[in-house]
Amino acid sequence: MFFHIVLERNMQLHPRHFGPHLRDKLVSKLIKDVEGTCSGRHGFVVAITGVEDVGKGLIREGTGFVTFPVKYQCVVFRPFKGEILEAVVTMVNKMGFFAEAGPVQIFVSNHLIPDDMEFQSGDVPNYTTSDGSVKIQKESEVRLKIIGTRVDATEIFCIGTIKDDFLGVISDPGAAV
Amino acid sequence: MPRRRHEEEEVEEEYDMEEEEEEEAEEEEERGGKRSRRGGGRGKRSRGVQSYIDDMASEDDDADDDDDEDYRGDGRRRAPKKMKPPSYIDDMAGVVEGEDSDDDGSDAEPANNCVTAVTCAPLRSISGFIDDTDAGAEIRDNNVGRRPIPHSSSMMDDDDDEEVEEIVRRLQKKYETEPHFDYDEEVTEVEQQALLPSVKDPKLWMVKCAIGHERETAVCLMQKFIDRPDLQIKSVVALEHLKNFIYIEAEKEAHVKEACRGLRNIFASARPTLVPIREMSDVLSVKSKSVDLSMDSWVRMKLGLYKGDLAKVVAVDSAHQKVTVKLIPRIDLQALANKLEGHEVTKKSFIPPPRFFSVDEARELHIRVESKRDRESGEYFDVVNGLQFNDGFLHKTFSIRSIRIQNIKPSFDELEKFNKPSDDLNEDVASLSALFANRKKGHFMKGDAVIVIKGDLKNLKGSVEKVEDDTVHIQPKQPRLPRTLAFSEKDLCKYFNPGDHVKIISGVQEGAMGMVVKVEGHVLTILSDTTKEHIRVFADHVVESSEATTGITRIGDYELHDLVLLNNLSFGIIIRVLKGVPGKPELALVKPREIKSKIDRRTSAKDRYNNIVSTKDIVRVVEGACKGKQGPVERIHRGILFIYDRHYLEHSGFICANAQTCLLVGGGTSSHCGNAMHTANPSFRAFSSRIFQPPGRLPPRGSHMNSGGRFGGTGSGGRGHDAMVNRCIKIISGPYKGYRGRVKEVTGALVRIELDSQMKIVTVKRQDISDTAAVATPFRETRYPSGVEIPVHPSQTPLHPIQTPTWDSGATPIRDGMRTPMPSRAWVPMSPARDNGEDGDPSVWASSAAYQPGTPRSRPYEAPTPGSGWATGWGDAAGNPTSTNVPSTPIGQPMTPGPPSYLAGTPSGQPMTPGDAGLDLLSPLIGGETEGNWLLPDVLVNVSRGGDEVSHAVVKEVLPDGSCRVSLGLLGDGDELIATANELEVVRPKKNEKLRIMNGAMRGVTGKLIGIDGSDGIVRVEGSLDMKIVDMVILGKLAF
Repeated sequence: MFFHIVLERNMQLHPRHFGPHLRDKLVSKLIKDVEGTCSGRHGFVVAITGVEDVGKGLIREGTGFVTFPVKYQCVVFRPFKGEILEAVVTMVNKMGFFAEAGPVQIFVSNHLIPDDMEFQSGDVPNYTTSDGSVKIQKESEVRLKIIGTRVDATEIFCIGTIKDDFLGVISDPGAAV
Repeated sequence: MPRRRHEEEEVEEEYDMEEEEEEEAEEEEERGGKRSRRGGGRGKRSRGVQSYIDDMASEDDDADDDDDEDYRGDGRRRAPKKMKPPSYIDDMAGVVEGEDSDDDGSDAEPANNCVTAVTCAPLRSISGFIDDTDAGAEIRDNNVGRRPIPHSSSMMDDDDDEEVEEIVRRLQKKYETEPHFDYDEEVTEVEQQALLPSVKDPKLWMVKCAIGHERETAVCLMQKFIDRPDLQIKSVVALEHLKNFIYIEAEKEAHVKEACRGLRNIFASARPTLVPIREMSDVLSVKSKSVDLSMDSWVRMKLGLYKGDLAKVVAVDSAHQKVTVKLIPRIDLQALANKLEGHEVTKKSFIPPPRFFSVDEARELHIRVESKRDRESGEYFDVVNGLQFNDGFLHKTFSIRSIRIQNIKPSFDELEKFNKPSDDLNEDVASLSALFANRKKGHFMKGDAVIVIKGDLKNLKGSVEKVEDDTVHIQPKQPRLPRTLAFSEKDLCKYFNPGDHVKIISGVQEGAMGMVVKVEGHVLTILSDTTKEHIRVFADHVVESSEATTGITRIGDYELHDLVLLNNLSFGIIIRVLKGVPGKPELALVKPREIKSKIDRRTSAKDRYNNIVSTKDIVRVVEGACKGKQGPVERIHRGILFIYDRHYLEHSGFICANAQTCLLVGGGTSSHCGNAMHTANPSFRAFSSRIFQPPGRLPPRGSHMNSGGRFGGTGSGGRGHDAMVNRCIKIISGPYKGYRGRVKEVTGALVRIELDSQMKIVTVKRQDISDTAAVATPFRETRYPSGVEIPVHPSQTPLHPIQTPTWDSGATPIRDGMRTPMPSRAWVPMSPARDNGEDGDPSVWASSAAYQPGTPRSRPYEAPTPGSGWATGWGDAAGNPTSTNVPSTPIGQPMTPGPPSYLAGTPSGQPMTPGDAGLDLLSPLIGGETEGNWLLPDVLVNVSRGGDEVSHAVVKEVLPDGSCRVSLGLLGDGDELIATANELEVVRPKKNEKLRIMNGAMRGVTGKLIGIDGSDGIVRVEGSLDMKIVDMVILGKLAF
């Protein structure tokens, strides 16, 4: 799920940036530092939408660096248990398949793939229904439900299921060929 | 025994026989020995020995004689039996048994280990007693012919009821008066001790007999005793668990021999062995507790073909100590077929794998399969060559002793194999409960989700509210069941939902963590966090985990994903270790002790376009086996990158590749920095050659620098083949401090040294060693400049792209510290590039920050120095050997010089010193910092050696290599020893104390401290009235 929240961060800025563009520098550094990171609590920081407030800088003794507390608005993405997501399959193996929804990696175990889909090894490993009408392979887009998340300090990993109503392939690159 | 017996005999005069029996039994028991574990088979004496014993066993339970009713019966039965000694003996045994189970429940487990005991001694006295008793005589007469009557009930219709009743009355009376005579359970320790055999008691002799005939021999002896009452033995014991031996209780060895003579099962040649008194009680105590073996429990085979195999108990025959178990047969049908056909069967050494038996297969091989119905169970068995099969399983009967009963932990795989696909593992409550038998304490915790697996409420889910021993209170999840329910722990099993993050706490996979993917009853499928593989485990072996880690991440000092050094050539990341052979990753299972050290350095390498790659940079592999993979660099070592690609499932996603085959992908924050550094390098070099040469740089040194400043880095920082190898060195700090040795090998910052004093090779840090006095210059050279010039290397030594890393980060500040004070002023124009470099690389800043004027104490730099050739040279050149400008800090040294020495020493240096001005600038600064390195004789110092121990000493002489000969003690009257400069600390003078100025223009002058003004001391120079204001740091207290 995406959230638009306000976060705070202490930014250290090198004295050489002190000048008329200090604020720009600060923001660009903030963006560079923060976007794409993941915190267990808030999830992935997708984008910074604005800087709310830059506090008073504090000069670090010895280094000359200045620490600014910066409040910024950002869009974060955090998957939750039970959430339905659309994801792109990145890898298929006999244990199931991995899919990605943006920065989040989701694993769908073969136990959580409908029983009528079977693993077909070969050049393009895939899961196919017995009649061949539905196929999950790399680059397929699937809709899945997250049933578990593991949140590390720097990574969020989910397991999902497509063994439910209205879940499964939504577009199949193989079908077009 | 005899002592006891006498007492008993006296007692017997008063009590009747029953009482005597009880006594006897009690005594037997209290002596710690189960004299008899079998007995009670009244009225079946005519049977054979074997059956007699078994019958007794089966009647054990009957031998309960606590209540009056029983006593009555017993009395009646026993009284007659007294006449016939054998029956008496049996009875006694029975009583003993009964007593055991009554009084001493803990000891009296109903006999897996059986003891056939025959106690003979009381017989004589008893028979005599009986003869004297009217009642006894009558009873005897009446009952002689009735002896074989098997059931006690039949005795009730005895014709002389009155007589019996009289006895019974007497008995009852006796028990009324002294009801607890022998049942007193509170036997004190002392009393117990008193019952142990003493020297006065008969001895126990161990006699060898024919194997398998122990019981028979015992019974033979008993018979012999009956036939020949003159035998002097007291008892015979055959222990079930002891083959080949029986015990005979007798006073003398001769008695034993006498008794044994002529028995064919006892070897006449074997001498009876005396059992030491201390061990006598052990002989008859039963140690192992019997475990009740019930049907459907899991066991393992101890021996034979099926050794270690899991088996399920089908039937238990406790009388025969046999168990019928169900096994997965290991049968080589082909071999069996050959055998049945009469072919030569070659004995094969291999054990056939377990496979279910198939009748069809057997028939194909023309093995005759009979179908037979078991009489008892009514089941049909396929019988092949005497082996019974049912449903593919082999049913076989084993002795209880050949199976392991306790602590069976069937693994999931085993159980899965055992249960044919048709069976539902979860329905098999017995097997589940067998699993639960091994639960650890505190298995359930508050809040655990559980499911009921047994009883009416089966499949009820709930959460644990409270645990009391074996009882677990759960709060059902049913809304209509608001109250908690109590269950036995055994009736519950943990329950998990898909998506739960769990940790496996027992079994083969113990420690692994993962997410539950599927729940099938009590079996969970878990996706392991680390390996991304499926693991199937029992729900019972799993706990929910909130840890955000990935299972076991530590072994000792090593953590998952640590980069470790295995030996000189290989290093790896711990995943299950991935070895660093580029492009050809090897997986090796490495035990912690094989890991030499952790590589814990931040280094960088260069990719194929010479971009500096440091950790966390994203790179793409453009060559080799892993071509196309992309990911952040996790570790770097010797030009090999360990890249983490989350799409790559093997090896936990780690790829290792040579840095040269990789391409830095833009976007990593520190990549710019790397490049910037790169470009900045030339200017660095400019610095180093300009600034360092001038001030005090001595000719050899300077030239060296010029010829190849970075050479030092190459040598010291790189592989170990530098000048240090094979040098004699001394270890100056760390655990091996003080040892001398020869350098075997240099690996990065570590040096392997063969100690002279001990036959071993140790690894120490490079900065912990110092050359012994005899060292040649190059060594020092290598060390010093390398510290100075680190930044140069990356660009200058393409052959060794990652030389720098081998330098401890600790080295950096040195470099900065030395360089900067001046360059920051003098050379700023030269280093514009450097500024760029600082962007986003705080480490550079941190290090540069470190030398702010206040910071660089020279102490840290002291370590590597002493014992240098050039120092000596310099001293000489200065013509001032005694003044000992000992360069324990090479940095300091150039700064210090009294002008004369400087001029003298650096003729060649001079032309190179545009920074001469800077010298002045620096010298006070640094000179001020370098405390205690310009020692002079007679100065009082503190010597710190080997840790915290600090002692006063007086400098006697300053040796040219920078170390000092000092004498311990405040007055220098103690032992003399040689101390290196960094072990010494000058004692600062206090007011009115004599001192010597150790530095500056007034070096060597003695005086007296008049006062202290801040950091300056006011000194009155000796021999004059001059007052001088001198920095305190260059003042040293004089010893006298």
